[in-house]
Amino acid sequence: MLRSRPLSTIVSRTGLSARVRVLVSREVWLATAFLLLNALLGVFWFVALVTLISLGLGLAYTLIGLVILGLTMRFWMAGATLERRRAGLLLGTRIAPPYRALPERGILARALARAGDPATWRDLLYLVLLFPLGIGEGALVVVAWLLPLGGLLAPLWLPYGSAADTAQPSVVLASVAALPAALAGLALLLLLPRVLLAVARRHGALALALLGPTASRERTLAARVDELRASRSRLLDAALLERQRIERDLHDGAQQRLVAVAMGLGLARGKMQSDPAAAAALVIEAHEQTKLALRDIRDLVRGIHPAVLSDRGLDPAISALAGRCPIPVEVRVDLDHRPPEAVESTAYFVVAEALTNIAKHSAAAHAWIGVSCARGRLLLEIRDDGVGGAAPAAGGGLAGLADRVAALDGRLVVASPAGGPTIIRAELPCE
Amino acid sequence: MRVVIAEDSVLLREGIARLLRDAGCEIVAAVGDGPALVAAVAEHRPDIAIVDVRMPPSHRDEGLRAALEARRRVPGSPILILSQYVEERYAGELLQSGPGGTGYLLKERVADVGDFVDAVRRVAAGATVLDPEVVAQLMARRRHNDQFAALTTREREVLALMAEGRSNRAIGDALAIGDGAVEKHISNIFGKLGLAATEADHRRVLAVLAFLRS
Repeated sequence: MLRSRPLSTIVSRTGLSARVRVLVSREVWLATAFLLLNALLGVFWFVALVTLISLGLGLAYTLIGLVILGLTMRFWMAGATLERRRAGLLLGTRIAPPYRALPERGILARALARAGDPATWRDLLYLVLLFPLGIGEGALVVVAWLLPLGGLLAPLWLPYGSAADTAQPSVVLASVAALPAALAGLALLLLLPRVLLAVARRHGALALALLGPTASRERTLAARVDELRASRSRLLDAALLERQRIERDLHDGAQQRLVAVAMGLGLARGKMQSDPAAAAALVIEAHEQTKLALRDIRDLVRGIHPAVLSDRGLDPAISALAGRCPIPVEVRVDLDHRPPEAVESTAYFVVAEALTNIAKHSAAAHAWIGVSCARGRLLLEIRDDGVGGAAPAAGGGLAGLADRVAALDGRLVVASPAGGPTIIRAELPCE
Repeated sequence: MRVVIAEDSVLLREGIARLLRDAGCEIVAAVGDGPALVAAVAEHRPDIAIVDVRMPPSHRDEGLRAALEARRRVPGSPILILSQYVEERYAGELLQSGPGGTGYLLKERVADVGDFVDAVRRVAAGATVLDPEVVAQLMARRRHNDQFAALTTREREVLALMAEGRSNRAIGDALAIGDGAVEKHISNIFGKLGLAATEADHRRVLAVLAFLRS
């Protein structure tokens, strides 16, 4: 497909036959269409935007005015989206949408996020600039096509044109006299692709600059992608380690106990007739082992996912964790709605890990847990009055938590100077 | 004693039914989901309903919700909840759902047949029986509460055993003290928790409730 080829390769081609081929190539026609459309769309957007924005601003003290402004913003963003597609289709200039991610819910929240995104305003700037640029480009296209065509066809129309009644001796002579004009027209015609394509390319570059992602945003995104890739692979490693731990726990705990139970019961079965007393002792032993196996499984299951968390949410789940902690823990949970399950679960495991660390290493006498929600973020704080010095070592519990939190677009900060106190703060999205 | 069992695992349902039949109970209905439990309690008005927390369709806390609904329809129905795990929050919801014998035990307590049948009888008789695991959670959480700080260590031990649904005599045996001493501790507990003198059984429930709420 010629269409998708960059303009420069076509423009730089030399040789007359190549130039003629270029003249009738798709690129030139598409560029012509593109530039003519610029004029039409430029006028349309200018009129539409000036009308709608002045109407909206005039009524801005009422709800209707604000609604009009909001809808106008959506309208020009749709226009910019269309422009991106048009540049891709007619010029082969692919422009990625530059917008930031929007909040999931809430019409107002989404509108405000759009208004706060510089890309929205660059869209507007482009559409307004399209007016003067489009007019100029439209005029250029008309002149660029009509001038060479007029010259080239001069021998045909000059004898019958306005000069016909002057002192030209004959039609043939008049046509001959028009030959220089025809040659000039031909030269201009061969120059036409170069000019049109160059103008179209400039316009494409401007569209890319205004409608596409900015360089700094692209750099930020690239850095973010690297960061996400790294944390994703760490998460996968952590998930694998976790599975191995569960396998080991099951194998060393419940499974061994059940083997012992089966063995004991097998022995008891053999002795039932011959030595009932010994058989009874074996059955009692097996009974005790079964109960221990059940306790092992219960502890393991709670470590994988506590049922009370899905059933009742963070408050009771964290309270239960606090209740099992050997030191007194004060819990305060202020949430007016339940966060998404992934957020709840991550918050829970942050608290679980933090409390385990506090119990093991901190020598603290008290701990405090606070959970609250502000501006769409879940804020989690775990504080103790221990000796401090906690650091997120690679592969350790705290580092794993930081990855889990990062996977949800959250942040985990550990402040633990030697001598204490230790404060762990996590921030998670909580829409 | 007429019993309704709600448990979605057939193996366990039959197991519990057999165990209770051996103990001389009559199983009037054995069902596998919440709505069937509510219907069975409304129809049979059993002496006790034994309910698994997790049942279809979502396998979360349907059993508990259905049990609360059944108690709303038939006030005073004794209910014993069995669960793979115990959390004080569930105990609180159950106890606050109104009068009537209330039990909340780990499912694995079924393995101690004698203790389990005993708990079933006590709940059917109107007592409150909480799993020692729940009581331990409660104790851990309440250590620094003012009201409970006023209780002596011995009084706290007595309160814990009361929450487990033990009789005065069983409490005395467990702590190796006499009946009189147990009664004295209990009346001290009532006093310190500010519970007025009413019918003794009801006050025991109130004490456990105060314990849960604090």
